[in-house]
Amino acid sequence: MDLVITSLGVVSPFGVGRAAWDAALADPAKATEAAIRTTSEVLDNEALPGARTAECWGFDPTEHLGKRGHRTFDRLTKFLIAAAKTALIDAGLKDGEGAFREGAPGPDRVGICSATAYGSLDAITELNLVAELEDPRFINPSRFPNTVVNAAAGYVSIWEDLRAPNTTVVDGNCGALDAILVAATHLDVGRADGFLVGGGEVVSEPLYRALARLGVVGPEGKGAVMGEGAAYLYLERRAGAEARGASVLGVITGYGTAFAPPESEALLVHGSADAVERACRDALAEAGLEPSDVDVVATAGSGVALIDTAEGEGLRAVFGEATPLATPKALHGETFGASGAFGLAAGLSWMNGAPVAPLLQGEAPSSVRTVLVSTIGYYGNASAVVLQAP
Amino acid sequence: MGRVFVTGVGVVSPVGLGTEAFGTALRQGKEATAPITGFDASGLDRDLACEVKDFRPREHMTAAEARRAGRCSAMAIAAARMAVRGAGLEGEAAGPRTAVVMGTTMGEANLLGQLESRWIHDGEEKVPSAALPRYGTTLLPIHVARSFGARGIVQTLPAACAAGNYAIGYAADLIRAGRCDRAISGAAEVIEKLQYAGFARLGAIAPEHCQPFDKDRRGLIVGEGAGVLMLESEESVVRRGATPLAEVGALGLACDAHHITRPHPEGEGSIHALRTALTGSGLDPDAIDYVNAHGTGTDANDKVEAQVLDAIFGDRQPALTSIKSMIGHCMGAASAIEAVSCVLTLNDGIIPPTINHGETDPDCAKLDLVANEPRTADVRALLNNSLAFGGYDAALCLAKPGVLPEVGA
Repeated sequence: MDLVITSLGVVSPFGVGRAAWDAALADPAKATEAAIRTTSEVLDNEALPGARTAECWGFDPTEHLGKRGHRTFDRLTKFLIAAAKTALIDAGLKDGEGAFREGAPGPDRVGICSATAYGSLDAITELNLVAELEDPRFINPSRFPNTVVNAAAGYVSIWEDLRAPNTTVVDGNCGALDAILVAATHLDVGRADGFLVGGGEVVSEPLYRALARLGVVGPEGKGAVMGEGAAYLYLERRAGAEARGASVLGVITGYGTAFAPPESEALLVHGSADAVERACRDALAEAGLEPSDVDVVATAGSGVALIDTAEGEGLRAVFGEATPLATPKALHGETFGASGAFGLAAGLSWMNGAPVAPLLQGEAPSSVRTVLVSTIGYYGNASAVVLQAP
Repeated sequence: MGRVFVTGVGVVSPVGLGTEAFGTALRQGKEATAPITGFDASGLDRDLACEVKDFRPREHMTAAEARRAGRCSAMAIAAARMAVRGAGLEGEAAGPRTAVVMGTTMGEANLLGQLESRWIHDGEEKVPSAALPRYGTTLLPIHVARSFGARGIVQTLPAACAAGNYAIGYAADLIRAGRCDRAISGAAEVIEKLQYAGFARLGAIAPEHCQPFDKDRRGLIVGEGAGVLMLESEESVVRRGATPLAEVGALGLACDAHHITRPHPEGEGSIHALRTALTGSGLDPDAIDYVNAHGTGTDANDKVEAQVLDAIFGDRQPALTSIKSMIGHCMGAASAIEAVSCVLTLNDGIIPPTINHGETDPDCAKLDLVANEPRTADVRALLNNSLAFGGYDAALCLAKPGVLPEVGA
């Protein structure tokens, strides 16, 4: 695999755009402090005391989408559009006014591969509340599209006029990395010249309550911090980027994925060390690298013991005890389906000199040229991607 | 880039379970439309659907599988088992080189609906924690992979009403790219109250029947079910001496970037999807003997689809059918169930009818609709067309083995 990254559009607790992301990652301790709070703008703080979230604090859609045309969009759609917009401009495909530039791939040649794990849950709950407590006939038809999981990426295509294939990927926490495989496949077949690849996730009350019941998220010391945001990388072939003189931020050179179920037939939730190990080995093999070539692993570590333990076991089987293992989610929370894209975003910052912290093992490298991003799902799947400096 | 073959198919449909019952019902023009039994539809202004009424998970899977899976995943497992068994791969589909790629619109939406209803009416503490993980949008391929020991790629592509084509076409791409040797691919969907109410509120549901391309058509009838294809690389087929049922050609894709629920008025994206399915398969329009229409029976879809087919085929229109007239619009599962129907047609030479047809809409007059009675025809190559929510357009070429030219030739 040889896909170049020519931009990163990111909506995070640190703000909108790559500059805000890079600035925050330059000081990891301060980033954590800024991102993670117990005073939610989304959840009922009285009913959920101590709930930790890393929200896109103060996100104002009108700053990025203008004043009109997005009233019925859900929060995820607004995040994705803001991320897409900055990614398309930064990649040099569009000018500051949002028009496609001459000489760059046009609307017919740019597509979207977008991941989410729980994207439509909030809208489904909103309409279910109306249907159950009032009357199904009172469901607002303009909000109904948000209940369909591919709606958010569909709205991005309309807003940004992207007519090449639009693919939503739902693979739990592995979605954004798996979206890279989808984009690579579409590019091989010639369906487009480039793709916005990544995903988004939002903090919502029903999701928080459900995951808190399962111990996946919770107050200090209990599970992960629920994060949110959106991240899109613009991915294209090297020749295309060179032809239009785009600067390359990084190169994706390997991908791997695997699945292994729990041994017990009675179990469903499962973190698989075996899947992590095989995903990493396949990604490295495709990149033509040895484990020792990797400067740092962006792990999926989030504070969910069952899952973190399995990932750690799988990673140590591949990398041993010396390779630095970092946990970028300590800075910005768990973004589930989008987390692979945030892992890559962290990798790009590290390659630009941001300190690699916090670390589960190893010592911070003096310079970062090669990053492996690891993701692990809650049902036995795992995916990994190798990111290299240009 | 090698060839990809279909070596087994499985189906759970409103007109029958398994290819034999399904194929017989389609040829007989059997319609599944009936009052909804799965939930109380009173007050929704519409009360008809094409439900799968005789699906009992335990007849298709182990007790453990049935306990783990919701209705949607259970249908996927059942259809997958038929496909794997039909391919003669039972017990041999395991390992990291078998991918599972599934499409859907809303997955286990009915499980979520039940959980939320309990939460809303009885309080959060009445919702059992153990039930929560059974709703996961990614679960379809996980359950299926587990059933057959597949250990490689597990992906869900929620491409709404084009999800079956997305999953099958993309799975074939993965095999051609050498990412896997075999793929269990298809889609599943269940009828759920909120979704039904949403379609009703959008004014999309017909009051009596689905009548694709008819001048008096009044909308779609919601359906459900699962369709699964066992796909294999040429090498895998040759190595084990399997008899392929069909060859998978190219998947053509586009996005309208026009409207979230309505198709593009000139069908620009759909035209592009069909054209690239043809060119990617190395075929001229003349080589297509049959098109399985998206044909939902809504005013907008059928009119646009007729324009699109005119743009592609002009005066030489291939035979056209919408089996949604019989099984309803099975949403995410639609183009997968229809792909199973397409494979049957390639093998038995019978094109199922578009039933409930009275007078053709003048806007659709050019089409060669197989109306009301099945037609016998030597179908060598066909296109399975789909349009979806979100402006998605997807068309998949399927052909008799040996009909498609060498890829890249």
